[in-house]
Amino acid sequence: MKTKKINSIKDFTKENEQLTSLNPDEFIKLPYPYEDWVDQPIRELSDDQKNRLEHSLDGFSAVAIPKPKTDSEKEVLVAKFLSGLHKLLSKENNWILLQPLLLSMENCMKCQTCSDECPIYISSGREEIYRPIFRGEILRRIVNKYLKPGGKFFSKIAGADIDLNWDTVARLAELSYRCTLCRRCAQACPIGVDNGLITREIRKLMSQELGLAADELHASGSMKQLKTGSSTGTNPTAMLDIVEFIEEDLKDLYGMDIKMPLDKKGADILLIHNFGEFLSWPENIMAFAIIFEKAGLNWTMSSEMGGYDSVNYGLWYDDAQLARVALEHIRVAKKLGVKKIVMGECGHAHKALMPIADRILVDENIIPRESAFPILEEIVFSGKIKFDPSKNNFPVTLHDPCNTVRAMGIVEPQRRILRYLCPQFREMEPHGVDNYCCGGGSGFAIMQGKNFPDWRNEVSFRMKFKQILEAFRDQIEPSVKKYVCTPCSNCKGTFRDGLTYFNAFEKCGIIYGGLVELIVNAMVDLKKPFIEWELK
Amino acid sequence: MIILYIFAYLSVLVFLILVISKIIKYARMPVHVRWELYPVAHERGKSKYGGSYFEDPDWWKNKTKKNHLAELWVMFEEIFFLKGVYRHNKKLWYLSFPFHLGLYLVIGTTFLIIISAVMEINSLINFSDINTEAGILLFYLINITGYAGLALIFLGSIGLIIKRASDEKYKFYNTSVDYINLIFILLLVISVFLTLIFSNSTFLLSKEFIKNLITFNFTEIANTLFIIHVVLISLFLLYFPLTRMMHLFAKYFTYHNVRWEDEPNIKGGKLEKRIREALNFGVSWSAPHMKTGKTWAEVATSLPPEIKK
Repeated sequence: MKTKKINSIKDFTKENEQLTSLNPDEFIKLPYPYEDWVDQPIRELSDDQKNRLEHSLDGFSAVAIPKPKTDSEKEVLVAKFLSGLHKLLSKENNWILLQPLLLSMENCMKCQTCSDECPIYISSGREEIYRPIFRGEILRRIVNKYLKPGGKFFSKIAGADIDLNWDTVARLAELSYRCTLCRRCAQACPIGVDNGLITREIRKLMSQELGLAADELHASGSMKQLKTGSSTGTNPTAMLDIVEFIEEDLKDLYGMDIKMPLDKKGADILLIHNFGEFLSWPENIMAFAIIFEKAGLNWTMSSEMGGYDSVNYGLWYDDAQLARVALEHIRVAKKLGVKKIVMGECGHAHKALMPIADRILVDENIIPRESAFPILEEIVFSGKIKFDPSKNNFPVTLHDPCNTVRAMGIVEPQRRILRYLCPQFREMEPHGVDNYCCGGGSGFAIMQGKNFPDWRNEVSFRMKFKQILEAFRDQIEPSVKKYVCTPCSNCKGTFRDGLTYFNAFEKCGIIYGGLVELIVNAMVDLKKPFIEWELK
Repeated sequence: MIILYIFAYLSVLVFLILVISKIIKYARMPVHVRWELYPVAHERGKSKYGGSYFEDPDWWKNKTKKNHLAELWVMFEEIFFLKGVYRHNKKLWYLSFPFHLGLYLVIGTTFLIIISAVMEINSLINFSDINTEAGILLFYLINITGYAGLALIFLGSIGLIIKRASDEKYKFYNTSVDYINLIFILLLVISVFLTLIFSNSTFLLSKEFIKNLITFNFTEIANTLFIIHVVLISLFLLYFPLTRMMHLFAKYFTYHNVRWEDEPNIKGGKLEKRIREALNFGVSWSAPHMKTGKTWAEVATSLPPEIKK
């Protein structure tokens, strides 16, 4: 396959040409039984899409940036980009992440210690534009040339000259959606430079100044959530219907007569799930309800707009949207008068409402927020529920969602549960805070437009799939059913698509699911298995 | 000759002003949202595996003290042994470690020379007189750390220059500044070596010069090599704060203010006060969904115009 490659940083500013193209033959090889796996050809954009949308980075379109029609339109957009860059580096407009951003922009030694830590860069066959420092270096050179006094002169003599044109801006916007913000690079940096953060801040500039963001995150994401109550578009009435269905399923399938507590004032716990669970993995909602009810917790969910979807896509691209959604969650919790908000199995929702939103809350808005994992651990080891670990006697491995583990340090509660309830639990390597991202982080899990899913399945999911295969290599045959414990909704979305792409259930007997499903599956009281061996 | 002394004073003064102002700039930045990365060194009993207080039920009810000793130890390993580079980029470590160790030894040597100069001014010891015990100790320390440091920097900087010039992954990103930084340091080391070889092999000239600086005694310096060395080091002091070599100081903030900054916001606490101030900062982002208020508090509490409930 003929591929194009970038030869120098200056190529990034070349007008109209596609900068690089990926060759699946160069992707990292997978272990048995995938040594001879031939990836599907990457779909090209249609001629119509090519005519309408910017795709000159690598032939993919994640953001669906419309092509400007005239040169003057381009000039206006470039000027806007520069004004956004000024704001990104100002105290007033970007107090939210200014200090970490400046530290990262001003102190990178380009030592490349981060390069091999990036699963996307490695999986792609070391595609230069995906190298962790690439985006930061482009942005740094633009800042040095266009924002600093004498920048044009000094950039030239320093050999760091870069031209700012519309193609540069459009490519940079797309490139900010080729990183899952997993921050493995930042963890490896000896100085503490965070290229994941720089990427996130480029997305922010594009969104907050130019109004450019992936549709699934903004228009069909956070905007839809603020308008309807959920990024899935589910309004409160439909939410109530879905809860009713789930209650019926609980009764029909498992003979459990559980009434989901809704809008219970003064409850100890307001449990908020990623609403994707209700639609795609209702067994997760059921499992939580079974465990919390059996443990006798005083808990509730909310059916009010702002209270039943923990999703907060602003975390990945926009500070205002992040704050608005977080404040909605808080508003509902205050109204119910709960003692604390508990996050279900959703990594980015954990991070958005617990550590991040912590710094936008004042006065009565400071309500305790807690992860479900320590609560589940407490229940499992409390003796309130009887377990029979032999019911989970199949190979289980654990995927560590970046947001709850590397970014929040919630590492052991879920492991202690698995070590107790799953006799064949084994770790992936590396794991814990050194984990690899699922490949769907930062919104990629839900981005299904154009040819972007091909990129996600073949490139960004690849390292995680390699890890999974290696964790199960001793029993890789499909007759042995295996479970990847994935306590995060977005990671599950990535696994659903990625494992399907690789035909992993048929070839290896691998499925994925949450943590609570394993807990319920091991309950003595449950008459039939809770886990269904199919790839959902 | 007085010009050389004035230049040296000025370079030290400008160096201090620029370094301190940069430190103040980083230190005075507004509060930012939490952006920590685990492991966080001060998490008592949990930092080994990267755990945090979020692992504890009702974490806000526990007041666990931070383990500051563990922070110091991690910083020590990171600064003096470049542990991160060793773990993630071993090939570079074999060059970068001797280079950095050399720098630390030379910085240490400089402080030892200043100490010996001060002690000599106060007639506590005579550095030239190796008959006193303190004099002997300082003499040997200065020479051992000085020569070892210079040799390590010499080898390390040559290695790093070759690496930058030959390895594709560095070449792609190199600018002339990347070479200038290393070549400048190499030239400095060579100038010291030449002075030591052709003038006095025991750093006596440096000590005398520092003594003169401290006592405002602008004695003529006859040694051309040493004059070149003083000019080079003064230029380097002026140049250093303008470069990425300032990571020496920035690293404190990247670790303590970002990677390990996990302070929860408690009602009525100092943090809450700083957050309240920040929420009142003005906003001028121009995308339509951002134009819902003049301050962050207003923007965050009002819905974008395109949403009509």
